[in-house]
Amino acid sequence: MISIRQVSKSYGSFQVLSDCSTEIKKGEVIVVCGPSGSGKSTLIKCVNGLEPFQSGEIIVDGISVGDPRTKLSTLRARVGMVFQHFELFPHMTIVDNLTLAQVKVLGRSRDEAAEKGLKLLERVGLKAHANKHPGALSGGQQQRVAIARALSMDPIAMLFDEPTSALDPEMINEVLDVMVELANEGMTMMCVTHEMGFARKVAHRVIFMDQGRIVEDAPKDDFFGQPRSERAQQFLSKILHH
Amino acid sequence: MNDAYDGYGFDWSSIPGALPLLAKGLSITFEVTVTAIVVGIIWGTLLAVARLSKSKLLSTAAAGYVNLFRSVPLVMVILWFYLIVPQLLKSVFGEGIADIRLASALCAFALFEAAYYSEIIRAGIQSVSRGQASAALALGLTPGQTMRLVILPQAFRNMLPLLLTQAIILFQDTSLVYVIGLSDFFGTAYKVGDRDGRLVELLLFAGAVYFVFCFSASQIVRHLQRRFVK
Ligand SMILES: Nc1ncnc2c1ncn2[C@@H]1O[C@H](COP(=O)(O)OP(=O)(O)OP(=O)(O)O)[C@@H](O)[C@H]1O
Ligand SMILES: [Mg+2]
Repeated sequence: MISIRQVSKSYGSFQVLSDCSTEIKKGEVIVVCGPSGSGKSTLIKCVNGLEPFQSGEIIVDGISVGDPRTKLSTLRARVGMVFQHFELFPHMTIVDNLTLAQVKVLGRSRDEAAEKGLKLLERVGLKAHANKHPGALSGGQQQRVAIARALSMDPIAMLFDEPTSALDPEMINEVLDVMVELANEGMTMMCVTHEMGFARKVAHRVIFMDQGRIVEDAPKDDFFGQPRSERAQQFLSKILHH
Repeated sequence: MNDAYDGYGFDWSSIPGALPLLAKGLSITFEVTVTAIVVGIIWGTLLAVARLSKSKLLSTAAAGYVNLFRSVPLVMVILWFYLIVPQLLKSVFGEGIADIRLASALCAFALFEAAYYSEIIRAGIQSVSRGQASAALALGLTPGQTMRLVILPQAFRNMLPLLLTQAIILFQDTSLVYVIGLSDFFGTAYKVGDRDGRLVELLLFAGAVYFVFCFSASQIVRHLQRRFVK
């Protein structure tokens, strides 16, 4: 469903991504981890064209992201994305956050969009907050709304960029629970996260990045059993004993 | 000595009779102010977006416009327009334009204020975090929709106190139209005072009226600031 082939990207002379390749099949859950600055966010943003890349190719559901003829907005509408800082629109109510793109991008009627939005809010346990503004919600609640907002577009895959790293510890699980449920339903997911508990529970594969390279791309059990690279071993031992 | 004599050597008696004239002047002041605010904000928004656009041509052109208008005195712009615009308007609309002075003042203020508004709005756009645009784009909104539906509403909200403060300055600056002989509130007060030999009284009265409007408006701004800056 998502294939990343020899993707490289640099800011001037600084190489952010070097020759990254991987393949994500339909229904697969991939966890991407690695030290800060290793290019995880950049890689995930390349998948829906939020970041351009200079060489290589990314194909999402048969469509080439880098091709100048590709209408990026259409592609992005089909790939959900969840950000570290939620990025709900603060000037709109929760339900308007969920309906905006459904109406403007998918051309759904307002009623249809609101109905869908409310159903998703119910699913993440926040229907009662539909008419509040994002500022009135806790971080964990905002992130669940952000996931519901992405789901309202009926995405074929979901991208997560450190969805729990800006949250207070007691709110992390409420967000992970939603993600686990999504994974169990067969959603194709690419998650940048350091929540190794989540990775153990639902990931099929773990990708480890360092200095813009995919250093390790292994089935979950192999990765946690015995990572091949020394960098990944160090990283794992640090993160698990934290 | 008449009834309006207040004991301080002022004679306010010419004001009541001049009220209809003064009201007409005030309506012109408001007409110029409101037009300049509305057109200035719309044109200023377009300039701000152009200035931040990736196109070198657009951003350079917008920057040139803004810097030009911000580098010349308003009074000069008003005069330029009075000398240029009448010809232009006549060639576009024929001779049927009712009030050339008003038309050229409206153009001058709208185009001049746009430069100032565009700077405020540009700062407003930059005050919205980049993540907001990413989130909107990630949902499939086009760059235009992202700007219109997500970025600009927040930019305006963040900049509301500054936009209103600019409107107050603008309201005061409209008095400069006296240089082209347009009878706005200030101009009318001056003419009446001059006519009746009561210039000091009329100008004090006009000052009081400006003060009441501007002070109330700035109180509203303070109130809004307290509400938004939490
Ligand atoms: N616009 C930019 N210009 C120059 N360098 C950038 C830019 N954006 C990111 N970088 C650099 O690219 C590198 C990779 O950034 P990226 O955000 O992808 O890392 P990350 O793995 O997501 O890190 P983190 O765990 O801190 O989120 C970093 O060293 C960063 O400083
Ligand atoms: Mg990151």
